[in-house]
Amino acid sequence: MTEYLIRRLLQSILVIFLVSIAAFGLMHAAPGGPTQMMISPGLSPETAAVQKHNLGLDKPVPTQYVIWLKNMLKGDMGNTFKNNTPVGDLIWPAVKNTLALMSFSWVISLLIAIPWGIYNSTREYGISDQSANFITYLGFAMPAFWFGIILQEFFSIKMDWLPLSDMYSMEKHGDLGNLFMHLILPSTVLILVNLAGYVKYSRSSMLEVLEQDYIRTARAKGVPERKVIFRHALRNALIPIITVIGMDLASLVAGATLTEKVFNWPGMGRLFVDMALAREYTVLMAITMITAVAVVLGNLIADILYKLVDPRVQLGRKGGKA
Amino acid sequence: MSDLNTATAPNVQNTDPVVTGNAPLPPTGKPPGPWKIVWQKFSRNPFAMTGLVVLLIFIFVAVFAKFIAPFDPAKIDLMTANLKPGVDGHWLGTDELGRDIFSRLVHSSQVSLLIGFSVAIIAVFLGSILGAISGYFGGWIDTVLMRLIDVMISLPSLFINILVMAIFGTKLLYLILILALTSWTGVARLVRGQFLQLREMQYVEAARATGVSHSGIIFRHLLRNASFPIIVNATLMVGGAILSESGLSYLGLGIQMPATSWGLMLSNSQEFMLTNPMQAVYPGLCILIVVLAVNFIGDGIRDALDPRQKNTRRRLAKWRKNFSKSGI
Repeated sequence: MTEYLIRRLLQSILVIFLVSIAAFGLMHAAPGGPTQMMISPGLSPETAAVQKHNLGLDKPVPTQYVIWLKNMLKGDMGNTFKNNTPVGDLIWPAVKNTLALMSFSWVISLLIAIPWGIYNSTREYGISDQSANFITYLGFAMPAFWFGIILQEFFSIKMDWLPLSDMYSMEKHGDLGNLFMHLILPSTVLILVNLAGYVKYSRSSMLEVLEQDYIRTARAKGVPERKVIFRHALRNALIPIITVIGMDLASLVAGATLTEKVFNWPGMGRLFVDMALAREYTVLMAITMITAVAVVLGNLIADILYKLVDPRVQLGRKGGKA
Repeated sequence: MSDLNTATAPNVQNTDPVVTGNAPLPPTGKPPGPWKIVWQKFSRNPFAMTGLVVLLIFIFVAVFAKFIAPFDPAKIDLMTANLKPGVDGHWLGTDELGRDIFSRLVHSSQVSLLIGFSVAIIAVFLGSILGAISGYFGGWIDTVLMRLIDVMISLPSLFINILVMAIFGTKLLYLILILALTSWTGVARLVRGQFLQLREMQYVEAARATGVSHSGIIFRHLLRNASFPIIVNATLMVGGAILSESGLSYLGLGIQMPATSWGLMLSNSQEFMLTNPMQAVYPGLCILIVVLAVNFIGDGIRDALDPRQKNTRRRLAKWRKNFSKSGI
């Protein structure tokens, strides 16, 4: 286990390192790149050169990368070009806001999806199962942001029941009730999208287990159906579900770009789009790295959980179940 | 038409005395090929067939958009702005710049279908080749490719798309390329997995023994046998690409004016929610219908390929239910 952990950790660090090279290279491959962004257009060539030197942009790209990496490891993410504000001041509040939205909708969707999926697996092709199927098709085929717009049009504009967008109303910052009202619409969108995947997944995971021989044995020896489902089947069916959940952990930090944009939610996704449009490279790099770390960590946690809940899995062996 | 049922047809050639009269006789004529069997199952699936018909209609509309659209989709005329549906031949009314909404919808279908299909084709091509090489040869090529995929999937693809479109500029070609470059990993993994299984088969060994080249084995033997799951994956990818395009266009990082796309129309409509709420409904519905159609087709193909037939499962579920009700 320890050996596996160490190897897996080293692998994760390698992936993050490669992501950083790729992202840095991508941004510097852009026509003009950061240089063009940082130098004001009206400057004379001499002043521009001085400014370039001050910002360290006259050094070769690999050197710049090493400098950037060193600063990043020290926790210094740099400043924005426009206002020279530290990147951290932009990102950490955004992470907090995203976390609020995503964890709220995520927990609710899991609480609905897993019991629902289990129920549907015991009544295949029943009404409940068919409606879950319908939601799944809808959730996979519908642009989520469009659903958000439709919700806004109906609940905010036509009925005026819920706030249209943003996280708090004017002068109500920090008010939890107000935050909750603002959470309802965006999390409805996210819950629908999440449900589509999770219900389907927990249903099929459960069905797979229910077809196993030991379930038939349990039924044959007269174990009550309730006990078969909860004691014998559910425990084993949860294992793959946990893996999927672990893989989605990253989205709690990375956010839902389109939904945040539709509801003007001041989170990571919206920040990323706004900064991409403004070409703030330092912020983009920072968000990219944070997201990559979150994804890799999420996968790592999923793998470890997988090992912990399922003693059959032999991690680290090639061609194993992991 | 030689159906599977021909098995029961009288067979003149069969004179084998061991076979008794009632036993099913071997089929006459050529046995139906795998494609034919798949089509037979597919065409009996009402959802899949509906999807196919709907998709064909959309393709027809996209191809003949010029003749179907009653107005020029990009023509701005402020005198006829915000017309109600049905006024002056504008079936769905006009938007805030006086452009005919129906014509814009019709022309948008071109962009969506073009992107959907070209992204799927490029991604499948790239993914199958790389996955095939990775799975067939293994070794360091496999390691390098798998690490590359690890790097690619450690960022949400929407992030990469936004980044590239913002940095390199919003051209249709870039849009197609980046969508393809962020969606080939699934196919590559799938093909690799299939190849890891298939390359151990005896017919591969036989082919190798008779001196078939590596590329011959990969393309003629292995890729053909892996083609069904690839096709299912490709179909579902079309829908994904259409959704991604709409999202990027909504963010202002996809299709640009004066061209139109459903996503662009949506981003436009949000500003005019108060004056014309229906403007947001139509483009989204179009996306929903097309993607739904494509997904139905994909699922139809998958079910047709699945030896465990859905109907059997359904019957089994019903039987189980009755059984548990009976209280034995």
